[in-house]
Parts: sequence; C-alpha cells; structure tokens
Amino acid sequence: MKRFFALMLSLLMVCSFALSASAEDVPDALEAASKMTNEELYTKAKEEIAKGAQLNFYSTTSFAEKAAANFMKAYPELDGKVIYAEIDDGETYTKLTNQIGSGVKDSPDMALVQNGPDLKVNLLEDELSYNYFPEALKDVVPEEYQEPTVVTFINSLMIYNNKEGSVKVSNVWQLIEEPWKGRVFFKDPTNETVNLNFLIMLTSPEWTEKLTKAYEAYYGKAWESKDFASASYEWIDGFLKNVNYTFTSASKIATGIASGAAGNMGVFVFSKLRKVAEEDRPNLTVLQFENDVDCFSGFMYNIYATVCSDTDCPYTCALFINWLLSEEGFAGEKSWNSSQGYYSPNTTIEKPEGLEDESYMYWAGKLVFEDLDYIDGLGADYADIYRFINVRVSK
Amino acid sequence: MKEIRQGLRREPIYFRAKAFFSKPANLILLFFLTVLAALSLAPMVTMLTNMFKVHAGTEKKLLRLKVGSLTLNHFEMLFKDYEWGKANFWIPLFNSLIVACGAGLLGILIGGTVAWFVTRSDLKCKKFISAVFVFPYMMPAWTLALFWTNMFQNSKVGGGVVGMVESVFGICMPEWFVFGLFPMIVVIGLHYSPFAYLLIGGILKNMDATLEESATILKASRFTIIRRVTVPIIMPAVLSTFLLIFSSGFASYTVPVFLGSATRTFTLSTKMRALIQAGYEGQGYIIAFISILLGTLILGVNQYFTGKRKSFTTVTGKSGQVSLVKLKEANWPISVLLIFLTLFFAIMPLVSFALESVIRQPGNYSLSNMTLNFWIGTEASQFETGMPSGILINSTMWSGLARQVGLALAVSMVVGTCGMLIGYACVRRRGSFLSRAVENLAFFPYLMPAMAFGTIYLAVATSGGFKWMYGSFFLLGLVAGVKFLPFASRSGVNSMMQISPEIEEAATIFGVPWVTRMARILFPIQKSAIISGYLLPVINVMREVALFTLLVPYPRYLLTTMLFSFNETGYSQYGSAVTLLIILIIIGINTLVNKLTGASFDKGIGG
Repeated sequence: MKRFFALMLSLLMVCSFALSASAEDVPDALEAASKMTNEELYTKAKEEIAKGAQLNFYSTTSFAEKAAANFMKAYPELDGKVIYAEIDDGETYTKLTNQIGSGVKDSPDMALVQNGPDLKVNLLEDELSYNYFPEALKDVVPEEYQEPTVVTFINSLMIYNNKEGSVKVSNVWQLIEEPWKGRVFFKDPTNETVNLNFLIMLTSPEWTEKLTKAYEAYYGKAWESKDFASASYEWIDGFLKNVNYTFTSASKIATGIASGAAGNMGVFVFSKLRKVAEEDRPNLTVLQFENDVDCFSGFMYNIYATVCSDTDCPYTCALFINWLLSEEGFAGEKSWNSSQGYYSPNTTIEKPEGLEDESYMYWAGKLVFEDLDYIDGLGADYADIYRFINVRVSK
Repeated sequence: MKEIRQGLRREPIYFRAKAFFSKPANLILLFFLTVLAALSLAPMVTMLTNMFKVHAGTEKKLLRLKVGSLTLNHFEMLFKDYEWGKANFWIPLFNSLIVACGAGLLGILIGGTVAWFVTRSDLKCKKFISAVFVFPYMMPAWTLALFWTNMFQNSKVGGGVVGMVESVFGICMPEWFVFGLFPMIVVIGLHYSPFAYLLIGGILKNMDATLEESATILKASRFTIIRRVTVPIIMPAVLSTFLLIFSSGFASYTVPVFLGSATRTFTLSTKMRALIQAGYEGQGYIIAFISILLGTLILGVNQYFTGKRKSFTTVTGKSGQVSLVKLKEANWPISVLLIFLTLFFAIMPLVSFALESVIRQPGNYSLSNMTLNFWIGTEASQFETGMPSGILINSTMWSGLARQVGLALAVSMVVGTCGMLIGYACVRRRGSFLSRAVENLAFFPYLMPAMAFGTIYLAVATSGGFKWMYGSFFLLGLVAGVKFLPFASRSGVNSMMQISPEIEEAATIFGVPWVTRMARILFPIQKSAIISGYLLPVINVMREVALFTLLVPYPRYLLTTMLFSFNETGYSQYGSAVTLLIILIIIGINTLVNKLTGASFDKGIGG
C-alpha cells in the first residue's frame, strides 16, 4: 500500500511539474514565434501536430471557419488539425475561464473573442491567455491593435427600411424623439457586450462633446443639465426608451427590418445583410450612405486573437494568427474581406471593389469605436454607467 | 448478569437492523439518499457559497477585490438599491409568478379537461386526440413561442413583420396578445397541458370505478360524483401537476426570451441569465437561490395537502370496470372542437416549421421563394444559405444527432429505472423519514432553474478533482439524469401509489423473491405508467437547451444546442429543419417503444 501511495505521489509530482513547465513554455514559445518566418513556424507546427496536438479554437465570428479551411489548404500538413467551434458572446468568458487549465480533452488552444476589456480582465491579467503578435507585421498594423492583437474590425450601422422613402435622419438626436418610439431595433445591450460598450463609449469626454454639439445643432440651443449628468446620458436615456427589442440577434434584425414595416431602423452588424433574401435587399438603406449623420451612424468593435495558456501547440496558433492578419488569410476566397462590414487592421489590405462598403479609414470619423483603455479605465464609474443602462433596458 | 443485560440491549438493535435491511425498500432508500444528497445538495452548497464570492470579470473589475474573496455587495445591490432591485428583481419576480401561476392553471384546465373526456366519456376519435394532444409537449417550448409569433405578429406590433393570421384574415392582434405575459402563459400552459393530461389521465384511467359506481347506486348526481369522488381522487395528481408546471413556468427561459423581449417583459430566469452574462454572477446565483426557495415553498404546500389524505389506493385485486359518461348530442361538437384545437397546436407548428425550413424570404410562401438548399444544399449554395452544406448532408449535424439520441437513451435507462425504484421504495415506506427525504431529494433538482443547474455543475466540473468530467458526455448524462429524475420519480411514485400493498404481500407469503415480484407483478400492472417514466426523460433530453448550453464543449456538440444557436444567430431555416427532425425522432422513439412494449408516451392514459 505504501508503495502504491509513493508511486501515486511521484506521478502527481511529475504531472504537476509537466503542467507547470508547459504553462511557462507558452509565453516563451510565443515570444520566439513572433520572430520567426511563416516557413519556420510551419516546421514547428508540423512538429506539434506530429506529437498529437490539434488546434481547437473558439470564435464569435462564423467567418473564422472559412478562414481555418483556407489555412489548412495553404498548409496541407495541418489538414484536419484546426478545429473551429462557434461560441456565443455571452458565454465566451465563462467557458474560457473554466476550460483553460482544466486539462480537459479538446479544450481551446486559442480564441477569437470580442469585448477587449473583458479579455483583459478575465484572461490576460490572470495569465489564462497570452497575447501574440508577429514582429513582421509591426509596421503595417497600428500599435494600438497589436496588444491585444486585433484580427478584424466589425461595424454595426444604422440601416432602415426604405419602402416609403427616406427617413431623413441627419442628426442622432432625432432618434430620441417620439416618432421613433418602438421603431429603432437594437440588441439588448445587457446581453450583447459590444452593444453595451458602444453606449458606454458615448459617455467618454470625446463623445460627450460631440453629442453636446449635435444637440446644439439639432435643437438650436445649448444643452443644459436637467436630470442627466451629460448630454450623453440624456441621449442614451432617450434612445433606450425608443428601442424595440423584438429581434434577438443581428441576423434577425436584418431580415426583420428588410421584410417589416416601412421606416423601421436597426443598428446592427453590417455584414448581416448577407442573411437578407435577395428580393428584400433593395428595401434596406444604410443611413450613412444616404447622408452624413451628426454625430455618428453606428459603431465599430474589435475581434481579438488570444492564445490559451495551456495550449500544446503555440507555434500552430502563432501561424494561424499570422494567417488571419495576412492578405491571403483575410482576403482569401469567401473570407472576411469578401463581405461587407469586416476590416483588417493590416493597413495593406483594402476592401475589394464592387462591395457596397467603404474602407476602415472612411468609417473612422463616422462611427463610435470601442476603446479598450477608456472602458477599462472607468473603474468604479463602470458600475454606475452599467446601472444607468441596465435599469433603462429593464423598464 | 451485566453481560446478559448488554446482550439483551444489543439484540433488539441487531434484529431491528436485520429487519430493516431485509426490506429491499429500505436498502433502495438508503442508497438513493446517499447518491442524491451528493448530486443535489453538493451543487446547492456550491451555489450558496457563490452568492458571497467575487467572480472573475465584472465583479472583480467593479469591486477591486481578488477573485474568490467574500463580499455582501451582491445582496446590497439587489436589495438596497431601489431602482436596481426593482428592475432586476422585483418586477421580474412578479412577472415570473404571474406566468407560473397562469401556466399552471391553464395547463391543468386544458390537460385535465381533455384527460377527463378521453378517459371518462364516450368522446369520438379518442385515439386520434390522445395521440396528437401530446405533440406540443414533445416540441421544445420555445418552438411554440416561435409558432405563436409566426402566427400572430403583424404590421402594427413588434418589427412590423406580417404573420399568417394577418396574411390570411387581415386581422391584427393587439400587442398584449402577441408579446408579453399573456402569450407566455398560453404557450407554457399549452406546452405543459399534455403533461397534466398524462398525469391526471393516468390516475383517471386506473381509478377504481367501483367508487363512482357506489356513488351512482346511492343516487348521487353526476356533478356530485365528480365533485365528491373523482376530484378528491385526482387532487394529489392535480397538485403535483400544478407544482411541476408552476416550477417549469417559473424557470422557463427560452419562452420569455422570445415572447417578452419586444415588450421588455423580464422574468427571473431571463434576468438571471442576463446578470450572469453581464458578469454579475453573484446576483444571478441569488436569484437562482430565491427561485429554488419559492419552489421549495410550493413543494411544502403540496406536501401539506397531499399528506392530508390517508389513502387513495385505486388499483387493487378487484376489477375496475369504468362506466363512461355519455355525452349524447354534445359528443360531436366537443369532439370536433378538441380535434380542431389539437390539430392547430400540434400539427400546425409542424407544417409551419416545414415551410419555414424551405423559404428564402420570411413571410413569402410562394413556390418561387422555396428551396431545398437548407436541407440538401452544397457549397455552391453557401452564399444563400450561409452554411457549406444542408442539414441532411452535414456531418456536424449527424454527429450532434447521434450524441443527442445516445444521451437521451442512456439517461432514460438510468433515470427511468431509478424513478421506478424510488417510486416503489417511497410508497412502500410512505410516512417514514427516509421515504420523505428521498422523495424530496429526487424532486429537488426540478426546482432549480436549468440554467443555474448547468452553471453550478460547470463550476463543480472545473474545480478540484472533477476536471476530468468537464466537456464529457458523462457530465451531460449526469446533469441530465439528476435534472430529469423528478419526472421519473414522480411517475414512479404516482404509479406505485395506485397499487395496493396486499398484491405484493400475497406474493411475499408465497415466497416470491423481490426481483420477481417487481418484474412479474408490479411492473406489468402499471406498465404503461412506468414506461412513461422512461419516456419522459427521453423527451426532455431530446429538447433541452438551457441545461446543456454551458456544459457542451461547443454549441454544435448536441442537436438542441446547435438548433438554439441557429435560431439565436438568425439561421432560422436551419433551426426549423432541425426542430422538425427532433420532433420526428421523438415520435419515432415513441412509436418504436409502442411497437416493442405496447406502451407509449400517450398510452399511459388514452384512447
């Protein structure tokens, strides 16, 4: 019996050393990988696969499946070894924080996630995942998108049903007026964190100033403090009072607006237009393409790549992230760039001709961009803003 | 002398223990007391501690405390902050209570009425009504919610999408009819009315007819017989059913999501999920705990009422010939009305899902708008359909289906057997502490909202020495087994309560072993009701989403999580196709069981 316990104890110690060693190896491996060429990474990846590893990755965007398929075509010896699983925004961090380090079979090796502040707080700060960014792309990807690594931007735009002509919206303050009650469709921000972040971003000094100016332009008088701390809070309050939450997903908002009542407007993911039936497409107008809106016509958020701390294939993960950031990966057949509403942080990749879309730079001045540092730096104020939004959504 | 005294003291205990352990019912109760305490109470303790802990994410960010440290902040926010508490707790609580009570009453009213007509009257087309009436229970509840919106949405409410009723009749139903508490009550009530039908009908069918006949001989009127004989006999089943529907309505997540979002009608379940999703896990667990407390309170009330009656043994060695009430001229009108209603709520959703799975453009049912690409499409149609292959040629779908069916069958075998054993043991030792404890423990998981139950098991499976379970088929089976045991145990208890102990005692006198008594006497007498106990978990597993959503390794692991993911993300045609498949599979299993054993999901009662 004593021998048995001694054996078990030894095994346990060996296992824990092995686990801790592998955990320490991942940042080193990623550091080394960031300096390697794709050929060198491919060699390393093949070694990892030969040892029995496979790259399991979670993604909140379904286009990643096609990107993975194209990746395996480009690197045939990894064929069948990159396994995609779609994950919902709401459950992303619950799943990842519980699965990483659990030693569970087929747990994720990396993830493509949204909501940067949560990525930072839940995974990166606790070293449950690590950032990886290749040295070779440092000159073509702006620094603020290198840590954490952004692999694509996605925009949500104001799009309306034009069956009875233009809705003639040129200022966002129009959307809080009575005629829009129940006619603006938006995903419940307490269920969709990027929508929540959009509203939170409006409370930043930059957007408060812009909203105050837009108020003056629309009402012809300066904004005065009545019941709200700033013009932003007043706009959020009015907007949420008018929002209709009938549709629970962006795709449903897109198809619902297209086939629904004239004059209805949605703020939803632009790329979801692909889900709208061909016959209904002419019913939709992107507000920004009709006229400039004072002071925004939607918002833009980021999809980040992060490598799990317990991965047994860090080099394969690195190679895959390189692929997503490259022209072949991002703009390959039927991948992100072939659809409206996806933009690469790699400045050398442009949207193809013929799409009803514009470049990332075009949207830069027209949309509310998610700023990880602002949201993360809110500290205790975050709770107040969340509370402000939550009680209004629930009413 | 001292030794003799000690011996005398020991002997009664020894003999008492020997007598105690010689009864199979006691051994069964002890075994289940241990297992259920570990599987029900341990997760409960985990949940209780989570109410006072700081979790990763939002809580950690807001409180600036280490993950796992103790805090009362969750309680303070929920109960001290008036505006927050009102929006996140009190209004959702009120809504949940209204929905649960309304659905419970409606379910019993519809299910009980139909059960009475089928079992106690000479209604026409009983077989058809009995077979078709249970369809809505086989469907996931939220598919009925989708069907409701498909039917009644109109240009004046919601997104202005025209539904079938407006399309065909030009009628626009008001908003309260289409979204909010009213349709939630109707949908959940309709969904669970077959359940009421099964349980109440089972009692009515097996009821000793001599009781009613005696009342008839004593010249009691039909109404008096129903009031003084029939209703008291079925009252335990009615209360049990109300409790089950109440708890289901209270914990329902998907129906309020689909029917309440447009009007911001939150229930405790939707609020709990929203809070957990937003990172306020502690508050989510508090809400889950309160839901369980309320459920336990209802259970206590039920126990009080059911405990009042002394005995309602309805199956004895005597004959139970049922005399049917003659409906006379009312027979055909009632039959036609029931056929119409059952067809509308049972067959129309199937037709609707079949149509929805082949149309490109919502609301346009013309032939030119139809395609089979969502079923058999290839990569060539990917741009239109959004997926590289149609449902029938999609390997992911087949893998998900195989796992779901395997899980349902495995859970059914284990849970059905456990339910029958628990039923037997609890009834035989009725009134004892062990019996009450096991019956309540077996029922306890039912009071836990599925979402909270899944989350708790997720926490258990990712901690300490249980990590080997996470993401495994075993964990899904374990969670489903514990969660759906109440259906089987209730069915077991209800069926065994109908059997007089004299029947078994007679066999015991002749030295018939326990296993033979179970297999050759008790099981055949209540075969249909016991097999219902096996079928109920199958159906529950085949349509469950909330319980598995956090435990599957990825959303497309099981067919139902895949289906919900399709609907959530807007692949509604795929969602409709998979829903149709699930319903057909359940009907297939029901038919197969019927052919092999003669029992079926509806056979427990009917026609």
